[in-house]
Amino acid sequence: MIPARPSPNWPLWIGVVGFLAAMTVWSAYGIGFSASELACNIAGGTRLLEESWPPDFGFLPRLAGPMMETVYIAIIGTVVGGILAIPVAVLAARNLTPNRPTWFVDRNFMNILRTLPDLFWAMLFATAVGFGPVAGALALTVFTVAVISKLYSESLESIDMGLPEAIRAAGGNWLQMIQFGALPQAMQQYVSYALYAFELNIRASVVLGLVGAGGIGMILETQRANFEYERVTMIILAVLVAVLIIEEISESIRKRLT
Amino acid sequence: MSERPMTSRSGAIRFHDAGIVYPNGVVGMKDLDLEIQPGEFVVIVGSSGAGKSTLLRAINGLNTLTSGRVEINGEALNTGSTRQLRRVRKNIGMIFQDFRLVKRLSVMSNVLIGRLAHVPAWRSMLGLWPREDREIAADALKRVGITDKAWVKASQLSGGQQQRVGIARALAQQPAIILADEPVASLDPVTTHQIMRDLVRINRELGITTLVNLHFLDLAREYGDRIIGLRFGELVYDGSARTVTDEDFRDIYGRDLTADDVVEDEAVEGGEGGGE
Repeated sequence: MIPARPSPNWPLWIGVVGFLAAMTVWSAYGIGFSASELACNIAGGTRLLEESWPPDFGFLPRLAGPMMETVYIAIIGTVVGGILAIPVAVLAARNLTPNRPTWFVDRNFMNILRTLPDLFWAMLFATAVGFGPVAGALALTVFTVAVISKLYSESLESIDMGLPEAIRAAGGNWLQMIQFGALPQAMQQYVSYALYAFELNIRASVVLGLVGAGGIGMILETQRANFEYERVTMIILAVLVAVLIIEEISESIRKRLT
Repeated sequence: MSERPMTSRSGAIRFHDAGIVYPNGVVGMKDLDLEIQPGEFVVIVGSSGAGKSTLLRAINGLNTLTSGRVEINGEALNTGSTRQLRRVRKNIGMIFQDFRLVKRLSVMSNVLIGRLAHVPAWRSMLGLWPREDREIAADALKRVGITDKAWVKASQLSGGQQQRVGIARALAQQPAIILADEPVASLDPVTTHQIMRDLVRINRELGITTLVNLHFLDLAREYGDRIIGLRFGELVYDGSARTVTDEDFRDIYGRDLTADDVVEDEAVEGGEGGGE
């Protein structure tokens, strides 16, 4: 016989739902949200949509160059950042780091990288090396290190330490212990994280273009500023298709890994 | 293939008043005085937690003595120098219960790990192994009879084959000493005898000092020359495997012996001569 079902904790549920509702209303008030204004202005939105249709397919050939630039930026960011993420992750893994001070410094470095958004890095590098795809590639490199190192160091912390010990016992040094004993055990996860970072980078490099870091985002911004909305629609469609294709490929590789 | 010497040095081990107390207060080794001559085949027995692993791991510095001293070929360990530790470990091969292979690498790559300390680090890390070291690794594989598996991924081998790779990796070090920590504990009875025979044969052929931790008493009796018994980290028996009695084992274990203390042995295949 199944015992009688215990009654749900109603006060808790009411409390949680009430709290979320109160927070949302409070925030909407804070940003000056008004339902009546939205209803009045929605007509402007429909006019924009009308102007944006149909997409200007004649513009498509001129998108190939900037689109490839976006992909290049993402590739450089993923490959360079992916490689740099390995030492950052190893030093931040408690079981592998050579000593506590190194661990502490590296872990905080990693956290700072992760806290600062990719747009910040894009603007920083744009100031340093000028507006363009190089700044975008540098920004995504840092962004990739931030994304991969955290996930990867956690994978490394959960490996079986027997193998690294065996490498030590055979007279291997610290680097050899890492290379032969630790990294192979988290290899699959690493590849999976790198592909994930590549997907993020494709999307991020579109956004970075908006602030002048090259690629398809830059051309999107110029066309928008010129009120060429039919071209803007075309660009958005092209980005959508490209991102979907890349994510599909990356996803199928990742599935095959496990 | 050429009959190259698989070992260069004599492997003498000496403990003097050695003790290990773990940070949590557990005594792993107590007042140990022990001398092992080059080329001996020693089996260490004792119930779990008696300090068998602690003893082996003190020899290659995986565990550090908290008192007393241990000497390998007259050289004291625990000087705190990692360089010295690596030099000593270079000449000591270790075999583990759970094999500890790089599963996604080939058998050959795993055996070459035994050469890590013998070649410049950059060569090993770029995979540019000198030809001589490749030959030593191939020779080691031949000695355990799995040459045909050289390019197979380690994860695709059976347990017994994986342990042979483990032995080959130790052999590739051209060690003076081999430490085997419960090498057959995760193997079936037939494979167990094959691996034990491999270890004995290698000890005889190459004169490598061999220490094996076992918890099966019939194996200890069958394959050991000398048996060392530990209890609560203390040496309680040290004598020949030929004269050890059930009474001695009872003293070592502090309890009566049961069927769990022996390997079931009816199923030895093909009459391959499993000891006398």
